[in-house]
Formats: sequence, structure tokens, C-alpha cells
Amino acid sequence: MTSVKEHSSFAPLRTLLSKQIAVLDGAMGTTIRGYGLDEAAARGSRFKSNDKDLLNNGDILSLTQPDVIGDIHKRFLEAGSHIIETNTFSGTSLAQSEFFVPDPRETGKGRKDPEFFDRKVLNNSELIDLTYDINYQSAKLAKMWCERISNDTGIERFAAGAIGPMTVSLSNSPDADDASFRTVTFDQVKNAYIDQIKALIAGGVDILMVETIFDSLNAKAALVAIQEVEEEQGVKLPIIISAAVGRGGETMISAQRADAMWNAMRHVDPIAIGLNCSLGPDLMKPFLQELSEASETHISCYPNAGLPDPLSPTGFPCTPGDMKDFMKDFAEDGLLNLVGGCCGNTPDHIKAIAEAVEGAAPRVIPTLETANA
Amino acid sequence: MSKIIKRTLRLSGSQSYNHTEEKNFLMIGERTNVAGSPKFARLVREGNLEEAISIARQHVDNGANVIDICFDDGLIEGVPMMTRFLQLVQSEPDIAKVPIMVDSSRWEIIEAGLKCIQGKGIVNSLSLKAGEEEFIHQAKIVKRFGAAAVVMAFDEKGQAATYEDKIRICERAYRILVDQVNFPPEDIIFDPNILTVATGIEEHNNYAVNFIEATRWIKQNLPFAKVSGGVSNISFSFRGNNPVREAMHAAFLYHATKAGMDMGIVNPGMLEVYDEIKPDMLQCVEDVILNRREDSTDRLLEYAEQFKGQAGKKREVDLSWREEPVEKRLEYALLKGIADFVDEDTEEARVKYERPLKVIEGPLMDGMAIVGDLFGEGKMFLPQVVKSARVMKKAVAYLTPYMEAEKAKALEGKIKEIKAEQPDISDEDALVLAQKGNSRGRIVMATVKGDVHDIGKNIVGVVLACNNFEVIDLGVMVPCERILEVAEKENADIIGLSGLITPSLDEMIYVAKEAEKKGLKTPILIGGATTSPAHTAIKISEHYSGPLIHVLDASRSVPVTTALLSEDQKPAFIEKTNKKYQQLRENHAGGPQKESIPFKEAQANQFTCDWENYQPAVPEFLGTRTIENQSIRELANYIDWTPFFHTWEIRGVWDSETKVLKSRNAASAEQAQELYRDALEILERIIAENRYTAKGIYGFFPANATAPEDGDDIEVYKDTSRSETIAKFHTLRQQVKKTSNKPHYALSDFVKPASYGDTDYVGGFVVGIHGVDEYAKELRENDLDDYQAIMAQAIGDRLAEAFAELLHHRSRVAWGYERPNEFNKNELIKEIYRGIRPAPGYPSQPDHTEKLTLFELLQATEKTGVELTESCAMHPGAAVSGIYFSHPESRYFALNELQKDQVEDYAQRKGMTYDEAERWLAPWMS
Repeated sequence: MTSVKEHSSFAPLRTLLSKQIAVLDGAMGTTIRGYGLDEAAARGSRFKSNDKDLLNNGDILSLTQPDVIGDIHKRFLEAGSHIIETNTFSGTSLAQSEFFVPDPRETGKGRKDPEFFDRKVLNNSELIDLTYDINYQSAKLAKMWCERISNDTGIERFAAGAIGPMTVSLSNSPDADDASFRTVTFDQVKNAYIDQIKALIAGGVDILMVETIFDSLNAKAALVAIQEVEEEQGVKLPIIISAAVGRGGETMISAQRADAMWNAMRHVDPIAIGLNCSLGPDLMKPFLQELSEASETHISCYPNAGLPDPLSPTGFPCTPGDMKDFMKDFAEDGLLNLVGGCCGNTPDHIKAIAEAVEGAAPRVIPTLETANA
Repeated sequence: MSKIIKRTLRLSGSQSYNHTEEKNFLMIGERTNVAGSPKFARLVREGNLEEAISIARQHVDNGANVIDICFDDGLIEGVPMMTRFLQLVQSEPDIAKVPIMVDSSRWEIIEAGLKCIQGKGIVNSLSLKAGEEEFIHQAKIVKRFGAAAVVMAFDEKGQAATYEDKIRICERAYRILVDQVNFPPEDIIFDPNILTVATGIEEHNNYAVNFIEATRWIKQNLPFAKVSGGVSNISFSFRGNNPVREAMHAAFLYHATKAGMDMGIVNPGMLEVYDEIKPDMLQCVEDVILNRREDSTDRLLEYAEQFKGQAGKKREVDLSWREEPVEKRLEYALLKGIADFVDEDTEEARVKYERPLKVIEGPLMDGMAIVGDLFGEGKMFLPQVVKSARVMKKAVAYLTPYMEAEKAKALEGKIKEIKAEQPDISDEDALVLAQKGNSRGRIVMATVKGDVHDIGKNIVGVVLACNNFEVIDLGVMVPCERILEVAEKENADIIGLSGLITPSLDEMIYVAKEAEKKGLKTPILIGGATTSPAHTAIKISEHYSGPLIHVLDASRSVPVTTALLSEDQKPAFIEKTNKKYQQLRENHAGGPQKESIPFKEAQANQFTCDWENYQPAVPEFLGTRTIENQSIRELANYIDWTPFFHTWEIRGVWDSETKVLKSRNAASAEQAQELYRDALEILERIIAENRYTAKGIYGFFPANATAPEDGDDIEVYKDTSRSETIAKFHTLRQQVKKTSNKPHYALSDFVKPASYGDTDYVGGFVVGIHGVDEYAKELRENDLDDYQAIMAQAIGDRLAEAFAELLHHRSRVAWGYERPNEFNKNELIKEIYRGIRPAPGYPSQPDHTEKLTLFELLQATEKTGVELTESCAMHPGAAVSGIYFSHPESRYFALNELQKDQVEDYAQRKGMTYDEAERWLAPWMS
């Protein structure tokens, strides 16, 4: 059996987490919007003649506007983030295909199904190259800024490869007449994740972050993918798992309770598990508590700045001051090991959150009964 | 000091299941295993996954903590089936909540299963059967997916039967998993093989002991490992003797769990409670299980003789409600529709309440009030309410003799009084006088013809009876003539008409008209779900000069009835009602009306096609074919269930492929499932007991449309010489003004006019299901079971429709333009095929009298036993008739706004008087 070694990031990360509440970064998407880019800027020269609009394809900005993405990384790191996420939320061929492959439903010729993805996406060399570039370049960019700010401040920073939920679901049938229909297969999702993970690792990420989990089966495919890459490469990276739950405390698409998800994912021994996105901090708290009770690993938390509110300037109601108060409260309740912000959290929010948890004791992680087997 | 999290088996579906210490035995459901349930296997083989899924749901409802899913069967493609089934499970939140055990002897099926479960499941199973390498490979994949694993005590040499082999193999597997694969020890579940005892072979005698002792050893020596097993194996030698098997399972589990067995595949319905096993049975069974005597097998065999063929314990039923006081029990029985205990509970209540009427007015009416409220709030469905009424009816039936006795006694007293006052009076007259004095009024009630819904009427009947009115309930589908006849004969004080479906509204109008003709003045009450004060005021009351009043619900029936029967209150009450209705009529009069065009114009705009070049389809035979005894089972396949659910007021569209009601309301879909199950059950009984006979006839005839100046008719000829006309179908044409260029259709448009050459044909059919009313009556009167009775009738109707569909199918094939298997069942139901079969009396030809022509042409009554009543209704009621048209553009359309000019023309063509024609067509005239 091949032996899998721990990546060199494990030791400093564990040291960081043992001493303090680590700070994650804020929102990539909503922060990008602050730069006022237009369609032409988003396309750059590489995607000049693409058929579909690309302004909302935030991931390609790592290729067409690396300075903007770099600047965002820099600002979060300066605001106090220990861990920043790569700009790769949709960095899989399956997710990118939405921007580059015609949707068969538009022409009335068929639908998205496993055959479509086999034919048009998973073997599409342009898409494969593109997703490699997105992940590799995004990882490089994040890692470069981590190193730069680490050197400037003497505080160790980590680049986490963001592995997003995809735009297809393994748990849900889009066909009202056939509840057993799935647009993609588990293996397709897994293989798309493998490509992303390999490129992220090649680009130098320190952590793999399976995040904004709407569908636990998609996440399971990502985790199987990670383990297969680990086995192949003989190196294991720290994993952070983070789910997006709705008001009932269940993953938004596959309706799994957070503690049930923990049971299904603890075998990958993640360095942290937590919740992000969807709910604002106040609504998220009880579910974070449940997860904290059940888990013998670190807890991460990076909520939206409240529920979406189109009337606020960022689209989200919580000000940096609000987030500071919430996170201070969470920290005092001993719920946090890693904290940051999701949608609507700007560098100012992260600065306020960093201040809120500065000097606060991290959550004491429970230990699992020893296996003296 | 940080908190310690216990290392134990932690599973999940969409919810977590943590096998912590306070949890007892983990029950693994096996009825979703093709080897564990012949029914499940059959459903899966037939592709009826919806029902297979419902087995999983029942299993979870019955308390299975984990469901074992297995498709190892020669006739099932394991990988796609495992995938599809688990994907269906994921869309069922009630099932998806529990962890899944993916069970197969084939690795690729297990892998397929792992790829479909978001939670932490269990793989069943791994073993060292094919050596260490494969074992390690598989274990690593299981671990990668985060599942637990059942590990069989099986190695390269085979299955471990002895204690020594069991512990040796388990220990070896454990060490490999923990030391080499880094498999969490708490996720290892050993199955040390439960093997059959009492087989007569001596080595088998110690099998149970070997398992129990191996379990003990594993739990003591292999930390955190769990032990499981398939319990029913132990008693395999007693197949067919459930009482003994249930006792064996209970005794075996008792000892195995004491030794540390954590979980098992157990059918909860095949398990006796250990403490309830009779001592002599327990003695025999434990002698076998624990191998305590050499002759224990023989002794158990001998003891078991007496139970052979007995069914054993039925499905687990929660009877905790039986502990409640009698009022609560009656309420529960009413709410849940449980009739099993109604007699004993009613008796208890009767004794407690002293007078039978008090029981009705008290706990029974209270319970029905809750049912009524829940129904009103949409929290109960009609079938459930009918089941409640069945309980009510049985309770009332139980009390009736007591009430009769009470009444007789009161009557006796009254007669004595009368005789004391009038010593000369005859016995008969005294009786009449006494009876009159005793009742507040006599009410004749009926659900009108064409409607089987009488639950509302039953409730009203009970309420009125409880208020001392004398209720004569004529039942359901009561023809107008009978209602009026009984009302006259019995000298009714009030007539109550009930109906739930829309056509009943017309029937009520008809009853009102007929009552008027007879010169009745008896107040008529109108009630039922589709009735309304507005409809009553605008459409019905104008036809009756006596009081005619809409009653909203049962609770309103008493004040209305009381007012109408009170000399003092009656005039004011009627005055008030009339005013209200007048207002409603005035409000309505301002509403829009549809415009129509003259008949000649409509005729000029008839549907036409290139008749010159049109080649009509030629049927393969002419004349008729009779089906003396059509197989009901075959008809069942043609049933369109959607209208069946509508009968029960459950809306949605039934998908006959998946057997699911597509409804916006999830609860409706669920109720439909239950109803469907009940329907299939009674359908099976109907078939098994030969209750219904299906007879039908169909045929084809040369035919042509008449020339326009001769009207919109179809001439049917004796033979292809077309020299002798043997029948003439008269059709009616749309007259409503159309904004589009669409034609004004008449059915005759779809037949080639004679002027274009004599080459076209029409067909006709009549089908009937005999025995329906008789069976329903038996159910209603002998079993007091309205639910089943209505079910039997609704199914009868569906079978008649199915028969019509089947014959239409055959006719299209016979007509040569459809291949036998061209359309699947759903497509047939959606009627995407060519040709139509409109029925006289329905929207495309609303004149029922056309049936006379059709029946005569086919000699239908003689051949099928389906008769026509005076009003041209078919008897038996479960019958369908119609005319076949083969034109590719033939279609159904609706007629209304018929004008006098056309009706005059039609009457002339038919040889009727205008008044006669108008009588049949009035509802469609403007």
C-alpha cells in the first residue's frame, strides 16, 4: 500500500489553529463587483469572441484581470486573513461549460444529460485546458500574495484551493416525470473535480476547501476525488469542508442535516468543517452549534453578511460593525476555530471580524475516544 | 480538558443515526431486499418501482433504522437498478432520512450503490472469500466513500460454521482492516453467519450456540467492532410454521443480544416478544437454540405440529389508543376509520351514557364534527372521511336495535295514553296517531341519479335522526321517479337531494321539474359539495313552486328543517329565502351571454376536407362482433385511473407507467397511493370471486353523410351495395359564434358525404359491466361498508371505460390504420391516436335518444344485456356506448348555445315534436 505523506502546510496550520481563531477571507464575487469591470474587461483578449457573456464568470478574471484578483487577495490579507481562497469557485469543466458550451435546451435539441456532458464537456480539450489554466493561475496568484504578505508581516498565510458546488446536482432530478433522472453521473462529477484538484495542487495551494456544499453527494464526489489524487501523488493536503444550509439546517439541495453530513464525511479527517454562505450569522448559529457538538475537528464559519438585501450597497445588510459583533459573540460562545465571511463581506468586514476574534480563545476541539484497537 | 466524543458506529441518510449506548438493537429492514421479500422482488422485476419505493417507506415508518437494499436476482440488471432505486429514494425525504445498506454479492453493484448515497451507509458485504488482496482493495474503496462495512466470516476456504473458524476469520479480517487499511474499527460490522438449526443433521445442532459464542468473543476481543446477522436463517427448517419461527427468532435474539449482537436483519412482523412466548414453546425452542438436549430437534418438531400452516402474528399494529377512555377511543376510531373495535366501544358507551341516542349525540357526533372540520380544512381526504362514516354507520347500526326498543316502548306508552283518552279508537288508528306524535317530521333523502356520493347526506341523515326527525334514506344514484314516488307514498314532510359531482346539478333541476309536474309542494332541500345558494337560486328554484332551499352543511340542516316544519316559522323563513334568492338571480342576470349564429350559417361553415381525394379506411369486417365474457384482468390494464381519483375528490393526473398521481399537493398523491392500493385489493377480489361480468359488442357498417340540404345526418347501410339504409344517426352542429375561423362542427362532418362516392364506414359499440350494483349493495347492506361499496362502483365505472378503450383500440386495428402495439398505455389514455368514439348524451352529441338508434343497430341489449331506461340511461350504470369515426381529423367538440332554428330542424329530421326535442336538449340551448 502506498504511504501518503502529509503536506508541509499541516504543521504551521495546526500551530496557528492551536493558538488562535484563524481568519479566512471574504467574498470574492461581491468584491469583484466593486471594481466595476465590464464585459470587454472580463473577456480580455482570450475570450474576445466567445458566444456567451462572461461578465459573471468570475473565475476567468484570474486569467483576464489577474491584477484585480491579486488586489483582492492583497486587501484581504492586509485586512488580517490567514487563509485566502483561490478564485476557482466554478473552476471545473462542468461549471465552466455553462459559459462556453451551447445549452441543448436553447435550440430545443435534447437536454443536459450524462451523454451531453461526455460529448460536449468532459472530453472538450478547450474546456479542459481552460479549467487547468483557471485553477493553476488562480492558485499561483493566491499563493504569491500569501508569500508576499507573509514575508512583509512575518505572519504565515495559506492559500486554500476553492472547490465549489458546481451547477449540476447528483441528488436532484430536474425531470418532473422521472425522479431517478440525473443530469450527470457520480464519475463525471468526480473526474471534473480531479482535474480541478490536480491543477490547484500544481499551482501550489496549501489547503483544499470543499465549500458552499448544496448537495452532499457532489461534495462526496469531490472528497473521493481528493482521496484518489492523494493516493496517486502520495501527499495529503489539509481539507476544509463547508456546507451551505437553509433555514432548516439542511444542505440546500440534498436536504442533509449538518451532523448527518459530518457522519458521512469525517472519514477524510478534515482539518475543519463548517458552514458558509446562504444564511446570515444569526440564523446560522444554531446549526453551527450542532455541528460543533458533533465534530472532533475544527469548526469554520463564514456566513454571508446577512440575507441578501438588494437595497444595501453591497447587496447584503450587515456592516463590518455588525459582523464584528456577531463574530465576537460566536467566539465568546466558544464556537469558532476559523472565521471569515461569504457573500457581501468586503476587506473592511474581514478587518472588523479579525479585530473581533483577536485574542479570543479558539474553540476547544473535542477528542475522539482513542482507538486502542 | 476537552470533551470526548464516543467512538461508535455513526451512520447517516439525510439525518444522522448514531449507534450510541442507549440505543438498543439496530433494526435493518430486509423487505427492500429481493431475497427477503418476494413481493419486492416481483415489483422490481415488473418495473413497478413506485410501489417498490412505497415498501421502503412502510419499512421506515415501521421503525427500520437502516434499510437493506439488494437486487441480486437473475432477472434484474443489478447496477442500473441499484442506481435508479437509490436515486428514487433520494427524492423521498421520508426514506432518504435513514442510512442505506447497499447489499450485493457483486462488487460493481456495491460500487454503484456507494455512488448514489450522500450519507454514511453500510456495505453488505466484504469478505476474505477471494483473498486478502481483493479484500483490501474493496475495503479501501469503502473507506474512501466513508461507508461502514459488514464483513462476513468467510475466507478462502469457505464459510465459518464452527466457533473456532468464526473467531479466527473475524480476527484476521479485523487486523487487516485496522492495521493495513486504517479502517475505523467502529465501522466494522461482523456477520459471523447465522446458520439454520434443527435440520436433522447433527453438526447443525450447535450452530446457534456457535454464533452466540463467537459474538461474545468478538465483542470482548475486537474493540469497537459490531456484530450483525440475518436472523430468519436460524429457523429456516420451520418454513411455513410462523408461530414457531417467530418464537425461535425471539429466543435467538434474546440470547445473541445478551452476548453483544448489535444489529440484525429482522422482519419486525416475524418476531414474537420473548416474554410472551408460552413456557412450553420457549422450553422447546431454547432447547434447540442453545443445543441443550440431544433430542431437542425432535421434540420441537413434535411440538410444532400443532401450529403448522398458521399465519402467525400479523403486521405490528399500534394499539396504545385502546388504553384511552371510551370517548377518545371512539374519536380515534372515527378519525382513523378503524372499525375493528366499534361494537365493543359503542356498547361500552351505551352502558355509560344509558340512552343510545346520547351516544350518537355525544361522542359519535363529536368525533364526526372533528372529521368534518379536518375535511373542511383539507387535512382529511374524502376516502378517509368515508372510512370514518363507515365506523359511524357501524356504531349507529349497533345502537339501532336499542333505539328501536326504546321507541317501541315509548310508542306503547303513547298508545296507552291515547286509548285512555279515546277508549273507542281502533288499535291501528291509535298506532298511527302515536307514531305521528313521536316524530318531528319525515324526511326522504337521496343522492340523485348518477352520483355515488352520499357521505354528506349520511352525516345530514344522522344529524336529523338524532334530532328526532324520521329519515328515510334512499341511498345513492336514486332516480328521480323513485325519490318522488317514495316522497308521495310516505307522505314526506321534506325531500332532501344530495349530490357531489357537477352532473348532479342537472339531475336536481330535473327532480325539481318533475316534482313540479306532479304538483308537489313539499319543501326540497339541496345539498352537496358542488351545490351553492347561487346555483340553487338561478338554476333550480325557478322550476319549483314549493320551497326549495340550499343547505350549506349538516350543521345547517337542523335549523332549516325545523323552520320548514314549524307553522309559525315557516312563512317568514320562506319569505326570507325567496328574497335572498331573488337578489342572487338579479346579480346574475347582468352577466355575459354567449353569442350564437343562425343554423344555416353554421352549416355553411361546416368542417370539410378534400373529400374528392379522401380514401376512407376500410374495416376488416362488417357487421358486429360480440364479446360474451371479457377478462376483467385484461381490462384492468386499460384503466385510466385519473377519473377514479377525481371521484374521490383527489385532483391530479395519474401516470400509469410510474403509478404515481402527479398532483401539486403531495398529500393528495400520498392519499392516491393508499386509495390505489385499496382499489387494487378490491379489484383482485372482484376478479377472484367472479363478481363482475363484462359484455360488449362492436361493429362496422358502410355509411355516408347525407347531402347538406337533408341535414347533418349519417346514413348507415345494410351492406356495401349501399342500397338499403338500416339506420340514421342524427347529429347536432355548433352554433356558438366563433372569433376564429374554426368550423362549426357536427359529427356528420367526419363522414364522407354520399355525393363524393360511397366508400365510408362508421362503427359503434356498447359495453357493460354486470354485477356492480349487486356487489355494492351487498357491501353496503351486509357489511355496512360504504367505502368498499363506493369503491366497487367506482371501479365498475372505470372497467366500463377501460372496456370501451380496449374495444376502440381493437376497432382501430380492425380499421387497419393502427398497429396493435403502436401506442403505450399512457398514450392510449391521452388519446393521441386517430379517430374518436363520441357517446350520445355527451358534449359532441348531447341527445341521449341517439342511443336508441345505436342499440338497435347493434342489437346491443340482446347481446350484452345493457338496457336503456326511459330516460335513455344505460343499465347497468357501468356501461359505455358510442359511435366510431375514423377520419384523421375527427375530434371531440362541445355543443352549447343550440338555437331554436336548429332544434326545429333536428326535431323534424328525427321525427319528434319540437317540444320533445327541446326536452332532451334544454340544457344545451341558450
